[in-house]
Amino acid sequence: MTDEQKDLLYDLLTKKTVYGLEPGEQAELDRFDPEVVEAEFRSLEITTAAISMASLEIEPLPDHLTSKILASAPSALTPAATDAREPWPPNAKIFTTDDVFDKKPRSSLFGWLGWVAAAIAVAALGFNLYTARFNKPQPEQANVPQVETPRTLTPAEQRAEMMRSSADVIQASWAPGNVKELKGLTGDIVWSDDTQSGYMRFRGLPVNDAKATCYQLWIFDQTQDKATPIDGGAFDVSSDGELIIPINAKLKAVKPEMFAITIERHGGVVVSKREKIAALAKVETHST
Amino acid sequence: MLQNSDDAEDAVQEIFVDVWKNAERFDESKASETTFIAMIARRRLIDKIRYSTRRISADSLDDVLLEPFTRADKTLELSMEAEQAAEAMRSLRPEQQQVLRLSIVQGMSHQEISEATGMPLGTVKTHARRGLLQVREVMGLGKRPQEARV
Repeated sequence: MTDEQKDLLYDLLTKKTVYGLEPGEQAELDRFDPEVVEAEFRSLEITTAAISMASLEIEPLPDHLTSKILASAPSALTPAATDAREPWPPNAKIFTTDDVFDKKPRSSLFGWLGWVAAAIAVAALGFNLYTARFNKPQPEQANVPQVETPRTLTPAEQRAEMMRSSADVIQASWAPGNVKELKGLTGDIVWSDDTQSGYMRFRGLPVNDAKATCYQLWIFDQTQDKATPIDGGAFDVSSDGELIIPINAKLKAVKPEMFAITIERHGGVVVSKREKIAALAKVETHST
Repeated sequence: MLQNSDDAEDAVQEIFVDVWKNAERFDESKASETTFIAMIARRRLIDKIRYSTRRISADSLDDVLLEPFTRADKTLELSMEAEQAAEAMRSLRPEQQQVLRLSIVQGMSHQEISEATGMPLGTVKTHARRGLLQVREVMGLGKRPQEARV
């Protein structure tokens, strides 16, 4: 096999594992040794699945969907619905609905219970992949962290107090992102590692349709991989003028290097496609 | 293009049924249960979305924002293979990581990745092929083919 043929083989195998093949491409792949193709495809498919799992996050399935899945399991488990060629585990009989949902403890059943848990977990992954793909809102992500307004101090007063009392406060100015409409955005962000608190200040950040979108802060911290910044909280803007919004970091941040505001779907996201970056703020120096 | 949560829920239920129907094909010597199920899930999803043409913008951004990012508190530890894959991905060149993430995780076609990143289409394909083979090798799932000049 020439180098060109081998490159072609692995190009086709890569495409098959990631996207699937068109009939013409499959025919091209069929010209190679089927044993080699099968073995290579299987290992690449496992690799691709593992990369998917490593790169995606599990979101809990909505309760109603879990119920629907469990309710549909009996029909899916009937003998007619299963392919009985080679039962797994080895030497096991073909399972029926009664077997799987029998309340009596059986050693063989415990393995299946693990499977049920695993299946639901990965079905959740599938749900997440699918929804992430199409950028749809997910019910479980609908709880936008609300900007809390203290009773005694306004956010502006809290910010001022933090600036006075915290010696390690860093400050960075917002610069435009990639949203043309927000080129006039100004303001800054302040953060204290000691108190793990901070505030965003904006002027020119437009009111958003809270039912459809939100703003979300990302903290790029020295302790975190740049691919996994800290979620600084999602928030809505409901009025014009100067805004001061507390930061709601989900993890401890130590010496943030940069902050970014993205525009995301309602509720915020766990994976940002950085399609709409409202603003960026780079920290130039740290005081400590 | 399917764009509502009903479609997503249908897909999940179909995946679940597929899992049950294919359970007897599971070989624990090849992969963990979760990876096996993830393979089934991917097949079903590929069937459902492979012809979609969703695109992302190709804006020129700050280096750190060149790739989609994930909340740091949402690290997934589903299986040994996933952990190995994450480690293997970190060993790749940045361009290879980017191409694999955009294709496998984001579902972008090679052409879309080419347009979004500015890389020539052939380069995208090469990064995808070599990156995937290298991840497989690091995971110990297969020998790197002699011709794969990674």
